[in-house]
Amino acid sequence: MVSGRSLETATALITGAFGAAVIVSSRDNGIGWSTAGVESGTFPLIIGIVIVAGSAFNLVQGWLHARAIVLGRDELRRLAFLFLPAAIFVGVIPLIGMCPASALYVFGALAWHRRGALLVSSLAAIGAALALYLIFELTFQISLPRGALGTLFGF
Amino acid sequence: MENLEALMHGFGIALSGNHIFLMLIGVLLGILVGVLPGLGAPNGVSLLLPLTFGMQPVSAIILLSSMYWGALFGGSVTSILFNIPGEPSSVATTFDGYPMARDGRPTTALATAFGSAAFGALAGVVLITLSASWVAQVALAFGPPEYFAVYFLAFASFVGMGGSPPIKTLVSLAIGFALAAVGIDTVSGSVRLTMGIDELVKGVSFVVAVMGLFGIGELLIAVEEEFHVKAISSKVEWREVFRTLAGLPRYGWALLRSAAIGCWMGITPGGPTAASFMSYGIAKRLSPRHANFGKGEPEGIVAPETADHAAGTSALLPMLSLGIPGSATAAVMMGGLMIWGLNPGPTLFIEQKDFVWGLIASMYLGNVVAVVLVLLTVPVFAALMRVPFFIIAPVIVIICTVGAYSVSNSYLDVVLMMGFGVLGYLFKKLHYPLAPLVLAIVIGDKAEDAFRQSMLMSKGSLGIFFANSLVTTLILLGTALLVMPVIWRMLSKMMTRSPSTP
Repeated sequence: MVSGRSLETATALITGAFGAAVIVSSRDNGIGWSTAGVESGTFPLIIGIVIVAGSAFNLVQGWLHARAIVLGRDELRRLAFLFLPAAIFVGVIPLIGMCPASALYVFGALAWHRRGALLVSSLAAIGAALALYLIFELTFQISLPRGALGTLFGF
Repeated sequence: MENLEALMHGFGIALSGNHIFLMLIGVLLGILVGVLPGLGAPNGVSLLLPLTFGMQPVSAIILLSSMYWGALFGGSVTSILFNIPGEPSSVATTFDGYPMARDGRPTTALATAFGSAAFGALAGVVLITLSASWVAQVALAFGPPEYFAVYFLAFASFVGMGGSPPIKTLVSLAIGFALAAVGIDTVSGSVRLTMGIDELVKGVSFVVAVMGLFGIGELLIAVEEEFHVKAISSKVEWREVFRTLAGLPRYGWALLRSAAIGCWMGITPGGPTAASFMSYGIAKRLSPRHANFGKGEPEGIVAPETADHAAGTSALLPMLSLGIPGSATAAVMMGGLMIWGLNPGPTLFIEQKDFVWGLIASMYLGNVVAVVLVLLTVPVFAALMRVPFFIIAPVIVIICTVGAYSVSNSYLDVVLMMGFGVLGYLFKKLHYPLAPLVLAIVIGDKAEDAFRQSMLMSKGSLGIFFANSLVTTLILLGTALLVMPVIWRMLSKMMTRSPSTP
């Protein structure tokens, strides 16, 4: 169960951390006025301060006003079922390459939801990989990642 | 008159077989992304972007803008037939469109929506035809301070009129600015904000952000809400279509008012979503039949649809003549313009006449094509909605991944995209607006450059922003918009308090 308060807090902390990183990073470049005009760190510094200040405001607002539960157990489960496979898909791309990863992803999703329909799932998986290859590699000449596996086999 | 001549020339360009074909393809793809949850106009257009690099700029923009029209129409189809807004801007259409369709009049609801949408789009295009080159002419005299003032006004109007909590809008906007600053600084040539990751020297592309924020983020929202498709007959009766269209003039006043609201919100970057909600709210307050709103009142479809399309179309006016996009999708298209080597802004009207007028002419044609195609294909796309979500979801994830990767063949972009996806989900869930973030990524650099050039001109004095009446007016207007939410709040507090105090 996740309350609106924790969601608001988490988001404000994420944006605030980003803002802080921007402030720290902006100090690598000059700040203020030099003979060449406004130095390149000035603008990021101001923006970083705006982000941190705004995040602090949102943090307090969210903490005070959003108490109701916004994500129940069911919602969290559904989110996880979408996000985790997607994250794994993205994670294995550097290992096995885009086309095989997509095929596995489609196969996994179909086989999970339609238990037993392995033939249909395999066909859909091969179809997805083939479609990617035909559309991007051949038609529009965008080379997709081969992955460590592809390099191993010398693609 | 000069404009009409140029427009006729434009029609000569747009009316070639090749371009009509691109329009058909664009509109069909647009309806597709408009219907599918998780894909919308901004990421649909960014997905097509890498495929247009080899094209003539005119052909490319016709393809992309047609996709935009298609997506605007496609979003209304699912709003009316399934009570699922395919696009954020068609949320307000569900209020009366779905009840009407549920009560057995889906054709009437669809025809009312498309008819008023076409009227709204027409109003937007006419506005562009008449005033775009005039605005561009005025803007030719602009120097860096004027440009900065216009950018400032654009960003301030998001905070003041966008309808989201102002501080959340400000944070979203500022994050966009920070992301725009990542990479090589165009003025000094030094590297900024890479935080130790060498690959970030190339910057963060808006395409990557759009894929994550709108694609993955929207998908997470959709799966969390777990929609159930309740099928309503999606058969279109043509007789009813014509009868409804013929009856639309009865809502003439609502049409005109909504078109005006839409055009205003499109030019100032309030965007189509805010426009449709505002128009619906005003119609509900002013209409003599306001008691029927929410139960299938035709005017409740006319108002948001007209404003949505008027805003979507007129969002291209500031993009073409000033180089400031009026919506997230317009921002993506403007990014495309820059990639094709064009310089969005007033000089376009002098150096790229064919491009500008070809695009404007194609907007007239594209909307006609869109109305016809969407009516013809309603049953097909309605059937698509019955494909189970667990099949659609992986396909959309794969498409977004390839889209993010293909920007610069970088795996880091894919990882960033997933990060943006989580951020997009949180932002959507908590009512942070996404459009300001995308807009700031696309034009943040230009706004900063304008500011720094102004500072160089004035040797560091902010007085340059009050040097002439135009700049002063723009800056003051922007400041007024920025503080408007605060003033509103104080006023409404005083109003609620005054009756209780004796």
